Amino acid sequence: MNKQIANGLRVGLTFGIVNIFLFLIKFPVIAGTIIKKIIPNFIVALFPINPDILDILIFIGLIGIWAGASGGRKLDEKSDNWLTSFVGGAAAGLVNALLIGALVFILGSLTDAHVKINAYLAAILPAVVKLFLLDQNTLNGSLTQFVFSFVAGALGGVLGFAFRGQWFASLKNKWNAAWASLTENPQIKKTFARPIARIALSALGIAFLLFIPQIAGKYWNYTIGTVGIYVLLGLGLNIVVGFAGLLDLGYVAFFAIGAYTVALLTAPNPHHLMWNFWTTLPIGVVLAAAAGILLGIPVLRMRGDYLAIVTLGFGEIIRILATSDLLTSFTGGPRGVTAIGQPTLFGKPFSSDTDFVYIIFIGIAIAIFITIQLRSSRIGRAWEAMREDETVAQAMGINTLSHKLMAFAIGAALAGLGGVLFASRNQFTGPEDHNLMVSINVLSVVIVGGMGSIPGVIAGAFALKGLPEILREVQDYRILIFGALLVAMMIWRPEGLWPTARRSMELHSADPEDPESGEAKTSEDKP
Amino acid sequence: MAMLEVNDIHTYYGNIQALNGVSLKVEQGEIVTLIGANGAGKTTTLRTISGLLKPRQGQIVLEGNDITETPAHDIVYKRIAMVPEGRGVFARLTVAENLDLGAYSRSDRKNLAGDLERVFSLFPRLQERQKQYAGTLSGGEQQMLAMGRAIMSNPRLLLLDEPSMGLAPVLVDLIFDIIQQINKEGVTILLVEQNALMALSIANRGYVLQSGEILLSDTAESLKNNEMVQKAYLGIE
Repeated sequence: MNKQIANGLRVGLTFGIVNIFLFLIKFPVIAGTIIKKIIPNFIVALFPINPDILDILIFIGLIGIWAGASGGRKLDEKSDNWLTSFVGGAAAGLVNALLIGALVFILGSLTDAHVKINAYLAAILPAVVKLFLLDQNTLNGSLTQFVFSFVAGALGGVLGFAFRGQWFASLKNKWNAAWASLTENPQIKKTFARPIARIALSALGIAFLLFIPQIAGKYWNYTIGTVGIYVLLGLGLNIVVGFAGLLDLGYVAFFAIGAYTVALLTAPNPHHLMWNFWTTLPIGVVLAAAAGILLGIPVLRMRGDYLAIVTLGFGEIIRILATSDLLTSFTGGPRGVTAIGQPTLFGKPFSSDTDFVYIIFIGIAIAIFITIQLRSSRIGRAWEAMREDETVAQAMGINTLSHKLMAFAIGAALAGLGGVLFASRNQFTGPEDHNLMVSINVLSVVIVGGMGSIPGVIAGAFALKGLPEILREVQDYRILIFGALLVAMMIWRPEGLWPTARRSMELHSADPEDPESGEAKTSEDKP
Repeated sequence: MAMLEVNDIHTYYGNIQALNGVSLKVEQGEIVTLIGANGAGKTTTLRTISGLLKPRQGQIVLEGNDITETPAHDIVYKRIAMVPEGRGVFARLTVAENLDLGAYSRSDRKNLAGDLERVFSLFPRLQERQKQYAGTLSGGEQQMLAMGRAIMSNPRLLLLDEPSMGLAPVLVDLIFDIIQQINKEGVTILLVEQNALMALSIANRGYVLQSGEILLSDTAESLKNNEMVQKAYLGIE
């Protein structure tokens, strides 16, 4: 019991401090607006209080319950029951509530004394403090906050126990059984195993994909396009990093080469070449691939960290060249290139955001096709061996240099394609489109999605490029929320959103339900 | 003509000289062992033969053809296979995938099934564990896998680097039995070992390497009875 209380107090302190920080940046108000979007309106209408205050209460309540559940968590098998869980949760709630109450009381008193807090903390305007006090006077408001958080904590402790207890487990089992009876049903399985069913499903999926851009508005099509370009880039880098195991931090260079190729060949300035978009597209792809090979020949003899540093440098060189005064007459310099040519179809312009979504989808389809073909080929096996152990791969007869060059060139070609589409869609490209952040974002897409996995790359691109768009309403905070999500994901799901079977095996080999790793433990002992 | 002839090779790691004129011969069908203390240059010799290191001086001749300049990834096409020190199995690939990569250099894919059977008859344990990831195998099983993978390239000359390293004595016996069996099936073997007693007991001839130079070379039997070898490498006073 003492241990549980100590745990509760510790957890409460952590939550309390984090809460103070969140209050000081006005976060409860922001979070409330997001939460309210998720909750249907008629439920909100049930509470006849100021909706802004409701937002804060919901947020504080949820955090409090979380704190309580964490404070009352199971410390050991024996003493885990309703009472300890409740006490632990209450302890956490108490500390958390004390800190919140004290903070709100201090903020309230200072405001009452006409101290201008927002001179130091920009977010804490008197109106915000009034919201924190739940529209009451300083004493009552902070007391309410205190009681509310305390109750939430105690409730969290009880709820935590309920969810790890018997009835929830049985509920979960029932659900699993119901799901299994549906998916394991031989009749249903047989129907779906038929080739005609597969074709029909694929056709349905494709039809759905083709349909989306028609109903999505201009803004969403633009966002889908951006996400799609990142899918394309991610698929390319996935071949380099995920398959061949080469850490390339200068991937943006190939993207830039694609973008500048289409820009310089189709734009009226600075060269007045005004070529056709469809002619320049393959040129951009080929030039990017060629750049991949040219860069690859000298640097691919390096391994690991060295390769990362050199590619990083290469990416920056391309950007700096594009910015340089020396080349302004050739590249357009820091101001970039405008009025880049756009695609046409049968003589008509085919360049709205909706049209571009289709073009990007085709690009992705090609990239997926190439990836699947390569993965199961002799080249794919060579990459796999090379990634595992370069020396032994050589001893198996694999020419590591040529295989690395191939991975680099294919990755670069896809980046080039992405660059061409990106520049043409935006009708503009400049040095700032090609900074280091692009490389880092694409690498994050691959890692967050799950290294080596195609659906992973798609999921990663949506999470990394799509989610910030959805969070756009809370502009100032989206990087904060986004960062927190990333950290949380790396803790709880390090293998990525949609990993390959192999990678999840590695990172969860301690799981008892994994028969293979269990076997491995025993096989260590016997010859 | 000897199957493999190493003539006066000098190999460097950067500026540090590891081999100072090593010469040795391996005849068709033999088991030849290279023994010596830590840092004597045993592994360096094998890595030079397999093309992973290039000698600054000297030649490596396989059946009359100079292979000194042959890149490492082409050596296996000359039907020389290496089992590297520390096994070097592809930990994140399954046993079956490892064996399949062993046959990467083969153009006669139709004979693979037979060779796979041969590997499984030598190492029945590998057959049981085909679907298991190589990294989850025990040390002895990994050694078996590394040897099986080398055999999948259908070599005529097998280079073995410290196959007994880190294995329990009973496993060492098993591995050495299998080495002899592979040899009987017609594969010539060059064996690098610290466990000199074991190595000399199965080899036809042996070389003693010290500080990058060949100190002694003789039949395995005479080396075993050589007083200096007994003192320095066999632990017999």
